[in-house]
Formats: sequence, structure tokens, C-alpha cells
Amino acid sequence: MNTLIRTLALPFLMLAASPALAHNPMCECEPVAGDQVKCTGGFSDGSGAPGVTLDVIGYDEQVLVGGKLNEDSSLTFNRPEGEYYVLFDAGPGHVVEVDYADIGQP
Amino acid sequence: MSQAQALPTSPLKQFWLKWRFHLNILLILIPLGFMPKYFADAKLFRGEGGLGANVVSDIKVGQWSLDLAELRDEAPRADGPAGHFKLFNAALCKTCTEGAKAIYLRIGKPRSLRAAGTIFFGAPYRMITSLPIPPRTKPDADLWITIEGWDGSMHQASIPLAQASPSTVAWLKKQGGTK
Repeated sequence: MNTLIRTLALPFLMLAASPALAHNPMCECEPVAGDQVKCTGGFSDGSGAPGVTLDVIGYDEQVLVGGKLNEDSSLTFNRPEGEYYVLFDAGPGHVVEVDYADIGQP
Repeated sequence: MSQAQALPTSPLKQFWLKWRFHLNILLILIPLGFMPKYFADAKLFRGEGGLGANVVSDIKVGQWSLDLAELRDEAPRADGPAGHFKLFNAALCKTCTEGAKAIYLRIGKPRSLRAAGTIFFGAPYRMITSLPIPPRTKPDADLWITIEGWDGSMHQASIPLAQASPSTVAWLKKQGGTK
């Protein structure tokens, strides 16, 4: 019976494995010490995003912090006053928005 | 001297020796079982089965009109830490592809053209995009379609998410208790 299981294991595994999805952009922001916010960007296939634009934009569409992600795909900035959102911009249609309400207090 | 080997005593072993040859047939039957799904997928991806599930026809966006459909009538799929995604197909009407530079899809009204959502790619008559579904989306949210013209203009229209993808709304309602 073990032989049977072993014989069928490979075909079953090959059928069960579904192809991976496209690489979707992602961005996570977390509060760090000194009333700062650290945002890390990347793609869901595991690749980083150094050099990709990351802007902090107020609800009035004023760019509060305009920057690019560092070598480690992250950017730390001072927490702005008021309502804002973080825009990870890897090109048209490849953006992630993180609202200030989703960035917790330290 | 006889070379014949004694029959194995275990009935299971006897059964195995007698019937193992017929595994051939099983190996042919297994792929057969997957063929309906294979042909259904092939039909879907070639477009012969229409645009997808829950087609919303003739949505007017500026001077254009388009059809929108979810690729499959199913809950959003997880993509690791990036969250959950739904695939949507769209087709511009046969006579109105002129002038449209890009088409975006987003849950909720976009704040700006830069944050218009995910971009549709592919041929104008069959485009696809992967729409992120934030788990805290309200079930009565709207799906916003933004068309950017080559002249720089921006045109928008919205349809209820519940109309475009009832299974996503059902999934969101289920998430409501845990998130």
C-alpha cells in the first residue's frame, strides 16, 4: 500500500500545487519611537522595493513628505499633524494607500 | 528442480500482485476527472465563456462605456502579506476604445488620479486587474472605475460592490466578526 501512495504522491502534488499569483504591491506602516512612522514597501513575491516613491499626503492633497524608499525598502518620517495617508507609488495602478487611522499609536 | 516460488501467504499481498496491473487504468482515469475543469478554464481564459461572472454591462464612464465582470464568482484570494485580491475583467465597448489611456478600479472614491486604484491591463476588449480588498471594507461600498484620457481628462463612474461581486460582499460580512 505504501508503494501505491508513493506512486500517486507526485501526480497528486503536481495537481494540487496552484500557480502563484502576480506580484502585488504592498506597504506596511508602523509607529516607531520619537513620534515617527516607519513604512516598508515591497511586493508579494517577496521582492523589496528600494528606490520606489513613497509620499505622505494630507487629506487636502498636499504632499507632506516626499521620499524614496531606502536600500532596505523602508522610509522613516516624522508623524505629521492632522489627517494624512501614505502612498506607496510603484507606478500608475501599482499603488498602496495606508490611512493614518491604520497606523497605530506607539 | 522447480523454479516456481511459493505463493505469498498474505491475502493482501496476493490481491496486490493480482491487481496492480490495473493501476494503469486508474492513471488514465485521474486526468479524465480534471478535464471538465481544464476545459472550463480554457474557455474562460480564451473569452469564449464571456467576460466572467456577474457581468455588469454598459457602465457609462465619460464618453466611454464598458462591461465589468469578476473573473470567478468566488471570495477574494489571499496573497500572503499583501492581503486579499479579486480578479476583475473589463471590456470597453466595441466602438469606443479611442482616447482611453488607462482604466483603474478601486473600492471607494479615489482621492486623486495618482491613487486611482489598480490598473487594467490587456487588450481593450478584455482587460484584467487584481483588485485589493481591504478586510474592513463596508459591504455597501462602491466600486469606482476611473478612465484617464490621452488628453489628461479623468472620468469616473461607480457601481455597488454588491452588484459586481456578491461573493466578495458575503466574504466581507464574514470577516466583519474577526477583524
